[in-house]
Amino acid sequence: MAINVGNPPTADGAATSANPLRAGLDTNRIADPCNIVFFGASGDLTKRMLIPAMYNLRLGDVLPTNFGILGFSRSKKSDESFRDEMKEAIDTYSRSGEARDPLWSDFASKVGYVSGSFDDVDAFRQLKARLDENDREFGTAGNRLYYLSTPPGVFATIVESLAAAGLGPKDQERGWSRIIIEKPFGTDLDSARALQTEVNKVFDEKAVYRIDHYLGKEPVQDIMALRFANVMFEPIWNRRYVDCVQITAAETVGVEGRGGYYEQSGALKDMIQNHVINLLALVAMEPPISPNADHIRDEKFKALSALRPVKPDEVARLTARGQYGPGLIAGKPVAGYREEASVDPNSTTETYACVKFFIDNWRWADVPFYLRSGKRLAHKHSEIAVTFRGIPHRIFGEAGDQIENNTLVMKIQPEEGVSIRFNAKIPGQKMHIRGVTMDFNYGTGFGVVSAPAYERLIADAMRGDATLFTRWDAVERAWEAVTPIMQRWSEARSVDFPNYLAGSQGPQSADALLVADGREWRRI
Amino acid sequence: MDANVTAGHIDAVDDTKAILEQLQRSRLASAVDRTHAAASAATMNFLVFVDDPNHRSWVLERAARVAAKHPSRLIVLDSTSSISGVDVTASASTSGGAVAISERVDVGVATIGHAAIISLTQELSIPEVPTVLWWTGGRLLQSRTFSGLAQGATTVLVDSSGKVRGDEAIRELGEFVTRFPKIALADLAFMRLAPWQNMIAQFFDDPALREDLFSLTGLEITSGSDAEALYLGGWLGSRLSWEIAHRDAFRDRSGHTIPFERVAEGDQRRVRRVCLRAGESAYCATLSDDDPNVVELSVTGPKAQPMRYAPLGNIENTSLIERAIVETTRDRIFDTSLLTVRELLG
Repeated sequence: MAINVGNPPTADGAATSANPLRAGLDTNRIADPCNIVFFGASGDLTKRMLIPAMYNLRLGDVLPTNFGILGFSRSKKSDESFRDEMKEAIDTYSRSGEARDPLWSDFASKVGYVSGSFDDVDAFRQLKARLDENDREFGTAGNRLYYLSTPPGVFATIVESLAAAGLGPKDQERGWSRIIIEKPFGTDLDSARALQTEVNKVFDEKAVYRIDHYLGKEPVQDIMALRFANVMFEPIWNRRYVDCVQITAAETVGVEGRGGYYEQSGALKDMIQNHVINLLALVAMEPPISPNADHIRDEKFKALSALRPVKPDEVARLTARGQYGPGLIAGKPVAGYREEASVDPNSTTETYACVKFFIDNWRWADVPFYLRSGKRLAHKHSEIAVTFRGIPHRIFGEAGDQIENNTLVMKIQPEEGVSIRFNAKIPGQKMHIRGVTMDFNYGTGFGVVSAPAYERLIADAMRGDATLFTRWDAVERAWEAVTPIMQRWSEARSVDFPNYLAGSQGPQSADALLVADGREWRRI
Repeated sequence: MDANVTAGHIDAVDDTKAILEQLQRSRLASAVDRTHAAASAATMNFLVFVDDPNHRSWVLERAARVAAKHPSRLIVLDSTSSISGVDVTASASTSGGAVAISERVDVGVATIGHAAIISLTQELSIPEVPTVLWWTGGRLLQSRTFSGLAQGATTVLVDSSGKVRGDEAIRELGEFVTRFPKIALADLAFMRLAPWQNMIAQFFDDPALREDLFSLTGLEITSGSDAEALYLGGWLGSRLSWEIAHRDAFRDRSGHTIPFERVAEGDQRRVRRVCLRAGESAYCATLSDDDPNVVELSVTGPKAQPMRYAPLGNIENTSLIERAIVETTRDRIFDTSLLTVRELLG
């Protein structure tokens, strides 16, 4: 019995390497035929992101020639009604506009639906029958990609049901099976470990793709290019030259109708534990020996392993939290967190979190990494700012007072690019110096708009390229890093919530954390 | 993005000192009132030669769009008699908080000789950065201006499906590749074919169908202009190591003759249909009547498959020009395709 977790194809694609017409062609086409199953197919993520992403991959000629798509969810509906819903979703949310014939009809003919509960093994057997039918009809060769876009509470149940219905990789006679799991992977360290145990019973780690859509964003991928495709940054990328690193993921939106979920989560678990810590790993890791997924993930794991645990008695000094009250966003009044739907009027859930981490290794010893994320802040703004130390000796007298520390900023959203802040002489007779900014912007630099992260990530999973997905050891390290903070915060319920206005820079306690170090946050 | 444009005019095209001084003045003036310090970093000299008044605005619009994305010194050599003297423009544009300054010099060259054009271009070019020549003129190697400018360029971009066309243009490009092996040559006519090459390759990604690729018995290409059909044929021939039997046929490695039929139909610069035959099997990619951006892919005969549809993914000309600029090395696939076509044409 063959067990194939799906090794990545060669650059040309394994199935096409013998096709002499492929030489030199610039194509992103996925070589392996495959079926993709979306669990939670009636949900918002499937409609807004996943199906439009699949359709755009088709328009971009990235999907393999032979593919099939199945939705699986509790709601009862026919293939036709599911297709109609998906067309409406594409028409509404796709970046390429309305779905049109003949391509839509061709795409829709590959789309089907199976209804059932996630613990209903019979429904999973029906799913297996549909997948086998697709293999025969569409030539999908037994390759299967399962996408869990469901609430996290049913991840383990779905994996169990897959195994019980003979849909696990170990039951396959041909082809590969992979599973994409949405975040959060667990709700704390213990539940993450328990989920990993369940997933691991059915899927080998190489077949598990933990998705963090942040990692699919073009500027995040460019962090590695910036660091390892240029010679000028790496020599100064260390404690000798770097004063501090600030990583910001700020949103203007509130909980967007997800109050129930957010009450159980909060900013620390929702953003810092995954998105923001992943960014930290990319900035802090050592150069990998190759772009191979495991080589990169090995280095990320090592960087996260060097994160100094925040001790319980240090939580007050090294962290800050906040919750937004009513305020103004873009001049319009918005409600406070406690007034949001499905939120406890006395909620102590944090909507803002910041943490000062240290990385205990030779490169980063004593360099603070300030991480912050919050909702209903002044602007939607994500960036990594590396601030360098001051010059060792000032030769410019009074003008020297205006000399700023150099800063390198990797802008993630909404702007995507890199900027460098350096000092220059103002033209004139006197030596006046001031800071200037040199910007690189993806949109104008290359004249292309980055594809949405989900398109890139789904295509990568179909190719078997796990580089942009998070490996279990890194997830575990990230949970270990935030667990002491979670515990301390849950013991010491904050009494001053809400403590920042919607539309502001965040709570004063966060400012105080940096002021104590003689620094300040970059403005959001 | 907003732009602050400052312009000046010099009457004498040979007064390079005055042109460069005006360029300096325009650059400084365009940066005035900007809140950010202006950073101007030219990544290339972008030379554009145009001699067709009907084509002029199309060319200049695309050149300006490329130059706006890639900070460059754009030097337009305008042989259409639309301008006399030299127009100098510097524009500062703000995008994402950054200020970039683009420089442009439009020179009326209709009345000056090739030696003067080449000399002027050299003096106006920024040293130490690559020079890209986009030649839209009616002659290639027969033009001493083209030869002279091309020899100073790192990349030369032409369109053998544009003003220069016909067998002679392809022969000249083949000659160019042989004579100037260090200069990267790009032909928009070939670059436009990438989606069609993908379509054809797609048929044979399936290992079960691939053997037919090595026993093709006929090739038929329908297009609105010659260059597309010739290039696709040349590409297939070079990829499959075919030899030339005569002007309308290849010979495969087993010595079998493969007739190459070219049908003129449809819009200029557009391929309408490609059909490959292998015995009783036919692999055809045909533009859909319902949507000109969709191709119907059919496999008929013993290995028949259901009709499939694929997005054509036509690439806009500006993007092709941009791609040619970014690729600074020779395209081996293009070179071998071109040389195959040249041999086919005899």
